[in-house]
Amino acid sequence: MKVISLKPVVDQAKCIGCGICAKVCPAVAITVTAKKAVIAEEHCRGCGGCNQRCPVEAIAMVRMEKPYQVAVAIDDVDYQAITRLCVAAKLHPEQIICYCTTTRAEEVAAAILKGARSPEELSRQTGIRMGCKVECIQPVLRLLQAAGITPERPPGYQWYGLTPTVWDIPEAVKAKYNSRGFYFDEDIKLLEQVVHASVKKEEGK
Amino acid sequence: MRRKPITPMDPRASQYGIAPERVTKRMAAYPEMTSLLIKDLFADTPAVIYPHEEGLTTVRKAAEAALSRVDMSMIKPRDSVNVLASHHGFTLLGGEPYAELLRVVRDVIAERTGTDNIRLRAGVGLRFRETEEYIKRYRLDEHFKGKARGVAPIDEGVAIQTEIGTLYGIKAVYDADWIVHVHNSDVREVHFHRQVDRAVKPFGMSYARIETRSTYHWNMGPRGANFTARSIFESEFVKSKFAFAAFLNMSPSGVVGVTAENDLYVLNDQLTVEGLTYYGKIMTLLGEIDECIVGLDFPCPVPYVFAAGVIYANFVGANDDLFDLDKGLPPYTWYTEAFYDKSGKPLIDSIMPVNPAIKMVVHNYAWGGYPSAFFSEHIPTIVVGQQQAELFNQDPQNLSYMQYAVVANGLDEAMHFAYHAAKTDKVIIFDGAMGGINVSHSLADMLQAKAPAVAKRVDRELMPKWLKQRGVSPT
Ligand code: SF4
Ligand code: SF4
Repeated sequence: MKVISLKPVVDQAKCIGCGICAKVCPAVAITVTAKKAVIAEEHCRGCGGCNQRCPVEAIAMVRMEKPYQVAVAIDDVDYQAITRLCVAAKLHPEQIICYCTTTRAEEVAAAILKGARSPEELSRQTGIRMGCKVECIQPVLRLLQAAGITPERPPGYQWYGLTPTVWDIPEAVKAKYNSRGFYFDEDIKLLEQVVHASVKKEEGK
Repeated sequence: MRRKPITPMDPRASQYGIAPERVTKRMAAYPEMTSLLIKDLFADTPAVIYPHEEGLTTVRKAAEAALSRVDMSMIKPRDSVNVLASHHGFTLLGGEPYAELLRVVRDVIAERTGTDNIRLRAGVGLRFRETEEYIKRYRLDEHFKGKARGVAPIDEGVAIQTEIGTLYGIKAVYDADWIVHVHNSDVREVHFHRQVDRAVKPFGMSYARIETRSTYHWNMGPRGANFTARSIFESEFVKSKFAFAAFLNMSPSGVVGVTAENDLYVLNDQLTVEGLTYYGKIMTLLGEIDECIVGLDFPCPVPYVFAAGVIYANFVGANDDLFDLDKGLPPYTWYTEAFYDKSGKPLIDSIMPVNPAIKMVVHNYAWGGYPSAFFSEHIPTIVVGQQQAELFNQDPQNLSYMQYAVVANGLDEAMHFAYHAAKTDKVIIFDGAMGGINVSHSLADMLQAKAPAVAKRVDRELMPKWLKQRGVSPT
């Protein structure tokens, strides 16, 4: 869930049509037409990424008169299916996976179960990745992967791909670095405790 | 006779904070405040070269001496060199010592190698224009002859093959023949890196793309996180470009010296020991505080305001030993923050609450640009001034910070309320005071009384354990 209260406004006189804003926008809401940035407001979720990267500072973030909220309901989705998907991604359904928007894994899982197929769609539907724009790409990609989805990369630098997890580290690599203060196996144990912590909602059913 | 408070750093003009003229009063200005010098708390506090009566000259001399011992023969006259910097250095002691180190590094490379193609690439955390602001403030663009720029984690990336798989760096960081890693040893985010591979961290963070940073904070676990950085640094791609590193060597009292090395791991081991030595005692001492009001009063985001070299985020976890690697989840780190359920309860029993000694926070002056709602949700917080509240309400990373905080018109009202509600007169101010710490008289008495026993415990018990856990010898 995210409340959208800011929107980007392009100063057409300043814009040089470089397209950087379009390449960084996590909602893929920007195109460049006739050498000017055009923002599809219906897809924008107010993260400010375009404003922060425009090389000529042509984009201002302004307060919206009528803020609105995006969210994906979880009540009409089988919670066991949500749990299975989250656990397959090695996440607990109730854990937060985006600190800025406090989005929990269950909401993103529900969006995927309802048909979302890419990080961009998930951002537009749930608002995830619409705060810092940095930290939560991996849990999003992990959930998509757990659902058997390999999303196609958009034509920019919005994201490049899945990266390794602590579960993927080869034993030989662990052995090489264990004595240097990296507690790989202990952390795996701890993360798995979280993943398998009782799911209250499911228990209640 | 108590010391006067140390003058805190002035507010800074930045798009991430309120305008400096809006900060009308500082917490250190109250008559009930005093200051303690680190060297008066701990006898083994190292001597500093900055702050110093000679000003930045001492930093320049130390940097030149350290660099004279570094091999630069791999850099040929026509080669390109990226001098890599990070935002954090500019928050230390007013930022000038780090800016000066960057200037010296450029000057010495140019002089020793003959190349003029030396660029500054300055990475950031989550405020993508922060180093652009510093480049202007410290006129680094002029010093680097127009070749200075800030780089952000959402900029174009480059895939890096590592021992554990593909990770991603920022392309502009690596678009030169050589890279020179210029950083500082301030321990800062102990809750994240746990003082494991501190010197390597920027390769997994300020020089890295979003995928890599996300790996650090979601995929690796609370103690394995910084392995992300080592994986990148160990890659053939990075090793083939790495020329040397130069670090501002920090302690809670100031700059201890400058260290430069061709072998980053030699420097890394040195800084691991020094970091534990210089910061271990003050962090442990702050963990002894039984009750207090915290003042946030420094130009940087909420978790990064600091007192005696310790950031507020680490004080939030000071009810546990953050250096002890037997402890998995600190009371505050992003893994911990993620593991609270919808009703606000931890998902697993081993999660400790945030530091119960913090009875109330007076947020007099701190920036947005970092997800900070966890702090106001878990600790009663009073924000000074409607403009500051509004700043947070408009920050995409802090849309719910003010849902949990209250607003006071001014600092006087905030303090009045805090004293009454928190029922303590102990105050600690995170205002970046140089060389010491601004606290209330009552807290000063307590810290002074407890310091000798803490010093003994760190030397005899904790330090040997911390070093053993990291496989580092004290020598
Ligand atoms: S989603 Fe973010 S980057 Fe995209 S247009 Fe909106 S504010 Fe700009
Ligand atoms: S980044 Fe700025 S200059 Fe470039 S297309 Fe977008 S608005 Fe125009």
